Amino acid sequence: MSHTVLICDDAIFMRTMVGDILTQAGFEIVGEAETGLQAVEKYKLLRPDLVTMDIVMPDMGGIDAVREITKFDPQARVLMCSAMGQQALVVEAIQAGAKDFVVKPFQPSRVLEAVQRVLG
Amino acid sequence: MDTSQYAELFLTESREHVSSINHWLLELERGTGGDEPVSAVFRAVHTIKGMSATMGYALVAELSHEIESMLDRVRAGSLVIDANVMDLLFRGADVLERAIEAAVAGKERDISADELLAALRTAALVKQAPRASAPLLVATPATTSADGEAWTVAAPIGAGLLVRIRLAKETPLRGVRAFLVVQAAKRLGEVTATEPTLSALQGDDFAHDFALRLVTSAPIAEIEGLLKGAGDVVAVHVGEDASSLGNSSAIALPQLGAANSADAAMRTSGFLTAAEVGKAEQQAADDPALRQQRHVRIDLRRLDALMNLIGELVIARGRLQSIAGTLGDAPLQETMTLASRLIGDLRDEIMSSRMVPVWQVFDRFPRLVRDAARSLGKQVDFTIEGKEIELDRSMLDEIGEPIVHLLRNAVDHGIEGPEARAATGKPAAGRLRLSALRDRSAVVIRVSDDGKGIDRQRVLTKAKASGLVDATRTDLTDEELVRLISRSGFSTADAVTGISGRGVGVDAVFSRVRSLGGAVDIKTSPGQGTTVTMRLPLTLAILRALLAQVDDEIYAIPLTHVSETVELHADVQRTLKGREVLLLRDDVLPLLRLRTLVGLPPQPVDSERLEQVVIVEVADRRAGLVVDDLIGQQEIVVKQYDAVRDAASVFSGATILGDGNPALILDVSSLPT
Repeated sequence: MSHTVLICDDAIFMRTMVGDILTQAGFEIVGEAETGLQAVEKYKLLRPDLVTMDIVMPDMGGIDAVREITKFDPQARVLMCSAMGQQALVVEAIQAGAKDFVVKPFQPSRVLEAVQRVLG
Repeated sequence: MDTSQYAELFLTESREHVSSINHWLLELERGTGGDEPVSAVFRAVHTIKGMSATMGYALVAELSHEIESMLDRVRAGSLVIDANVMDLLFRGADVLERAIEAAVAGKERDISADELLAALRTAALVKQAPRASAPLLVATPATTSADGEAWTVAAPIGAGLLVRIRLAKETPLRGVRAFLVVQAAKRLGEVTATEPTLSALQGDDFAHDFALRLVTSAPIAEIEGLLKGAGDVVAVHVGEDASSLGNSSAIALPQLGAANSADAAMRTSGFLTAAEVGKAEQQAADDPALRQQRHVRIDLRRLDALMNLIGELVIARGRLQSIAGTLGDAPLQETMTLASRLIGDLRDEIMSSRMVPVWQVFDRFPRLVRDAARSLGKQVDFTIEGKEIELDRSMLDEIGEPIVHLLRNAVDHGIEGPEARAATGKPAAGRLRLSALRDRSAVVIRVSDDGKGIDRQRVLTKAKASGLVDATRTDLTDEELVRLISRSGFSTADAVTGISGRGVGVDAVFSRVRSLGGAVDIKTSPGQGTTVTMRLPLTLAILRALLAQVDDEIYAIPLTHVSETVELHADVQRTLKGREVLLLRDDVLPLLRLRTLVGLPPQPVDSERLEQVVIVEVADRRAGLVVDDLIGQQEIVVKQYDAVRDAASVFSGATILGDGNPALILDVSSLPT
């Protein structure tokens, strides 16, 4: 059975791109979220194997969402998606419970490597 | 900080760790278990170091530090385990144990460890030098990583293994990646330092490689594997740099001076500070597996006092029951029944709180057997079974010494040397087995070897010389043999070997076990080996007994040794070779009369009343004990009395019955079966 993924990003473009990379690699996208709040709600509902999480999102940011998700499920596997120049935020996200990170612009190989590390 | 209130806790925990060190050193010597023995010893020594530094026990801290340093080198591959290293580690464990005991007693100065400390340091120094002739297990000098690139950062100063990491050139957000690597390392242990500093790392303020110091018990392969898996890591190297060996050893291995200045030195040289120890404990408390075990350490004297009190309460209950029984008042009876049950529950709880698994004492035996075998040039394959069996704490403390005696005897006199064994077709290594098992309300402890057995002829010669048996005898029965060697002062050992035969023979074991209310049995066969079986009650203080009557006197027979009771009908009674025997189903048992044993005149024959027979058993031997009447089962509280020391006594103690009268407790193992 393929791993299930919840993609969280406020940009449709990014969700589509990440979705395509993962779908082609055999993952099953079970949900998408546009805000941190949605991410938390959908995580509780879908219990995916993996969450890709943008850092900057409306309503609730990615870091707070990681915190909430980890509080709900300490085993949650969250991969942060960050832009260049967000070092401090990524460190914060990792301290909040994220397992690894990828940096935009995405290269499919790097995204998949990071996903393997998080799932491994 | 006043640490005296923690001394007891320190002692208890340190003892456990020393025991664990000895266990794993034996594993290490055996060469089994891969990396785990070194890691486990390292963990234990490291814990002792942290605790003793906090307590201000400078010598203990220094010793554990040196042992830890040595183990660190073993793990880094710069020190190869050989016989000398093993000896040094064993000696280190011994001196460490003595230093711990002395430190807590305030006598740390009495321990002289200078020689050992010097040896530990010298060994480490000699072995550190790169040896071209011995490439096996010696770390490859590494100033460059496997891909040929030079490391650019200095080795960080701190305790633990040096770990160097190189990230891929194109690593995005490499500061965050480095942070992730450090996080991963923290899952294996404590990161004591990084180069550059953590904040510089996070600020991308480094080229492509960085380094950290990691205090961990994880094997190197695991460290490398985990860190390489942190992403974008192209190279990981664990171990000191070859070029900086002298330099870094000065940091990791401070030449601590006089003992009283060692404490200050420790706090600046990578020893855990009190705050760090506190942090580690906090982490331990956060670990759910550790948190589930909630323990309160109680002074054993408190438990002893509780046991005494409950003993008195049990006696008082007996009296109350008999009074309530005579009054025949229903509400009183009802209340009495309830109180009686509660007292019973209370007694069970207190008794179970005193129970500890036998491994707490057994765990030091493998080391003891190893040392004894080594000093005698023998090979011994020693196994322990039933480690988890529980016994009353005081009982366990008392039984330790007799077991030590039996083990030493087995190694010294039982198991033959490798050549002698080979000559008789036995494997070179003798088998020695110590087992504990629960059997009804008793614990059976057995020491068994496959050696040459007890020399009957020698026992016979000695017994003749002492006038214990008739001079014309040419052989001994099993029973005679056992009775002879259990006599006080009877030893066949020609020379005092330092291992055993210091003038105390098996008789010492017999008398100790008897005084504990237990029984000993010995089975030995020439060339096949010897098995000593000790049967012990679960607790010293309270036991269930069968009360029996002879004339007006009441005697208590511990239920541990009672298998059943029968009536003495004429048709089960015979006389065989001038001795009275009892026919019990298919068995013929010797019949003993308690009346005769206690020196009362024979009873006139009364055809109206049948006498009762209590079938008693000691190990595999059984006998019928004739009494006038049986009163019933009761819990009795054992009170020691001096006459027990008398070899001729058939009693092991006395008790006070419910009606306030005393009763003697029969020592079944001393009956002339």
